[in-house]
Amino acid sequence: MEADDLALVSRAKAGDPEAFRALVVRTQRKVYAVALGIVKDRDLAWDISQEAFVRVHAHLPEFKGESSFSTWALRIVSHLAIDSVRKERTAIKDDIDDVRETDLAGGGEGILATALGNDPQENALRRELAGKMAEALAQLPEKHRTILVLREVEGLSYEELAERLGLHKGTVMSRLFHARKKMQALLREYAGIERGEAAEGGTEP
Amino acid sequence: MTACLRFAPMIGARPGELTLEEASALAEHLASCGACQGRLADEEALSGMLPEALLAEANRRDFSAFSDEVLTRIPALGRAARPAPRGGMLAPILGWVGHHRLLAAASALAPTLAALALIVYLGQGNAPEGAPVEVSSEGRSTMVLETSEGPVVLLGDLEPEGS
Ligand SMILES: [Zn+2]
Repeated sequence: MEADDLALVSRAKAGDPEAFRALVVRTQRKVYAVALGIVKDRDLAWDISQEAFVRVHAHLPEFKGESSFSTWALRIVSHLAIDSVRKERTAIKDDIDDVRETDLAGGGEGILATALGNDPQENALRRELAGKMAEALAQLPEKHRTILVLREVEGLSYEELAERLGLHKGTVMSRLFHARKKMQALLREYAGIERGEAAEGGTEP
Repeated sequence: MTACLRFAPMIGARPGELTLEEASALAEHLASCGACQGRLADEEALSGMLPEALLAEANRRDFSAFSDEVLTRIPALGRAARPAPRGGMLAPILGWVGHHRLLAAASALAPTLAALALIVYLGQGNAPEGAPVEVSSEGRSTMVLETSEGPVVLLGDLEPEGS
């Protein structure tokens, strides 16, 4: 696919609109998925995805193929999406990145894995949870949505996350920890899985 | 539990992301900590589910006009935008098969033709918002085949694009 993309990129650079269209069509859903994960709103995500491709086109002459076209397009769309939700960020003050003792209490660790592993209906639960995941993601604060999407969908490493978000690696790891913990709590709720015997004075809201 | 403060955030690291010291300390901690074993199991069980979920959201939308809308926003390419095609449910599938007739004749397409039996067509806004879109299980994603006439989603053991 990469070699194919490169051929399309050089045709698009030479001004072939159909080559550019083909590149858009190949990556549009992934680009939209990243935008949607970060901004939540479908129409805004659609608009940001289109703007991302406009920027991609404007910067085609600078694209040297060091990463894949798709990686490059995703980087551009996530920048735009993060910019558009930046104002959400300051609104939440009591949301720190440190991991404290209380964050570890009664978290129901392993319950989802056990439920998924014991699911008699061959992944019916997994499908159900996947169906709820976008909804759960939308309930997370902006910084947790963003870091999860950058990590899980765009596939960034700790180092890339640290650079992109201007954080230390330790903060990247603890922010991811909080984001996953919140996501898992919501998924347990959706799946109606109780914390059961693992719940010993949990302090989650 | 104090040790978990240090190690729980390391769970989910990819190979090479922890220093060798961190990685071996984590392994040692995991061997004796049930809670962190549970955290690791959850992390592994949910792995890949987020991209799958967001891609399924993307698949619910009709993208047939997307590339034209993009081209329209680029002055240099605006002329190349064309009206979204209108056709029956089967037009994209038949169109796609038509484009690949030579390959089909060479019998190189048997697996793809089998996969066509599993096709879900999302086109022309026919799928109502929120309509269920099948997402494959076990970490496999749907694959979207772009045809000249609209998106076609193949379900099966196909690798997701890009990642
Ligand atoms: Zn532990």
